[in-house]
Amino acid sequence: MRILIIGNGIAGGEVAFGLRRAGSADEITILSAEEVPEYDPCSLPYFLGRDVPRPRVFRRRFEDYSSAGIRLETGDAAVAIDPQARRVHTSSGREYAFDRLVLAHGGSLFVPPIPGIDKPGVHRCKQLPEADRLDRHRGSAAVVIGSGAIGIEAAEALKKRGYAVTVIEVMDWILPALFDPETAGRLKRRLERCGIAALTGERVLRIEGTQAVAAVVTDRRTIACDTVVLATGIVPGVALARTAGIEVGRGIRVNERLETRVSGIFACGDCVETVDACTGEDAMFQLKHNAIEQARIVVRNLRGEPAAYPGAWAFARAHFFDTHAVSFGKTTRATQCELGQLEIIEREAGEDYLRVILKEGIIVGGQAIGRFADAAGLLIGAMWRRESIPLLRARRELLGGPPTATPWTTRKLGELLGLTG
Amino acid sequence: MKEPSAPNTLIHVIAERCSGCRRCEIACSMVHCGIPTPQRSRIRILPLPRRTGFIPVLCQACEDAPCLKTCPMNARLRTAEGAVVTDEESCIGCRACLYICPYGAPTVSPDDGKTLTCDRCAGEPGGPWCVAACRDCGALEAVRPEELFVRGSRAAARTLRHVWSPPRSRRCAS
Repeated sequence: MRILIIGNGIAGGEVAFGLRRAGSADEITILSAEEVPEYDPCSLPYFLGRDVPRPRVFRRRFEDYSSAGIRLETGDAAVAIDPQARRVHTSSGREYAFDRLVLAHGGSLFVPPIPGIDKPGVHRCKQLPEADRLDRHRGSAAVVIGSGAIGIEAAEALKKRGYAVTVIEVMDWILPALFDPETAGRLKRRLERCGIAALTGERVLRIEGTQAVAAVVTDRRTIACDTVVLATGIVPGVALARTAGIEVGRGIRVNERLETRVSGIFACGDCVETVDACTGEDAMFQLKHNAIEQARIVVRNLRGEPAAYPGAWAFARAHFFDTHAVSFGKTTRATQCELGQLEIIEREAGEDYLRVILKEGIIVGGQAIGRFADAAGLLIGAMWRRESIPLLRARRELLGGPPTATPWTTRKLGELLGLTG
Repeated sequence: MKEPSAPNTLIHVIAERCSGCRRCEIACSMVHCGIPTPQRSRIRILPLPRRTGFIPVLCQACEDAPCLKTCPMNARLRTAEGAVVTDEESCIGCRACLYICPYGAPTVSPDDGKTLTCDRCAGEPGGPWCVAACRDCGALEAVRPEELFVRGSRAAARTLRHVWSPPRSRRCAS
């Protein structure tokens, strides 16, 4: 069988090598728009900040492909799919026939319509060539537009390289998709203490400069700079599928076997619209662990084993200098338009902070900074098990009693949530 | 990417026997760092609330380990022996492996902030040092994977017999 994979990112690589690990003798081809073997986009800010040398960002070497008998076509992007003729056309004009197709081309950076956004000095940090370009760039003052995880990591990397760094966020708090304002406010203060300015609730109007970037103008001020980094979020790549008549929503629509509406065409990774494994709601968590798990489900289905994908899960850490924070599940904002009694449990000890969001007595999400974050796994476990916190509260005497009645994880959970007194 | 192979030694924890003496922590830091520093130990003794018991916490090398998938630097590796360890050359100390761990098992090194986990003392002829240090209490045992379930079932049966033993009179009635 000829299996064609579009995209050589985390998902694409995991499908190809996963097939070989599962003993597949199929003809496997990966089409990559990039010129390099598989690398990890999560690693790029750390290469940029010189925490690790460049080779460490790679997940594979060219030899790995040849020794696994996987054909890797680099520098050739898929531009059209013909689902009837079972062919893919590429930018170089070549044609690839397939029996099974896997769409794993991920997403692309959302580029906001800001005047001056194409000036020299405006950088991105999503792909390796972009990170290389920013690495070669010599500047002294940077503005990072967007304060998601990538924005904060890029800001830290530039700060370490001696830049003066300002982060601009259009929402009222930093890391808005991951944290509630209460948590984000604490993180913002710590960010500023590290010498990174964070401006929230501010909109970038234009990027000025006669030739290269000279300043960023927001609705409140003008910031002189020679470098701009766009960290404005990732949008799933749906154009390729849509033009081929494959159904798309926010991402490519798939069934629970991760097969698109066209039989024999699968999709996984950042380009897919999936469900939240905890709640069953539609979800787009474009995170590495989800890409890996989806790719493994695709492998099993390609091998003829009907495997269902249980859904994606939200888990992200925020880490800069000596600040460590974690977020999992839903934020308060994400639960705002749902029915159900919300309860927030907060704990604070010095600079450390814990915030757990309960809906109808069950943990649906949480955020932690510092020492509290070390026990995040216990909270995530309780969220997955749908452990009833009111019941735990009612039985609080058991939490401190003889160790036979309650598992230790639950007892530590009670302690973490301050139920044991 | 390294392929997991059959693990040879597992460390079986019998928490009920743990006295909280923390000799295992000292042994672990001795064998890995050469100096007794419990902060650098890959096994940690967790006191339960109100010190009603102690839980030895160490990496369980989960079959589908979430830390392998969430590490941004792909620094969590499965060794040929089946353990899951941090590649210190790649680790940037972000603690993603610690935060996603259901047990909170990885230790953050006080030296560089990188994470440390149990490698079951790979290459040590006498087996894991923590097991040797726990001889008096017997809360840690080095077992072969196929033994683990047998031991677990026997231990559970012992506990159940203790908790649920019927009153003497009724036992005679049958």
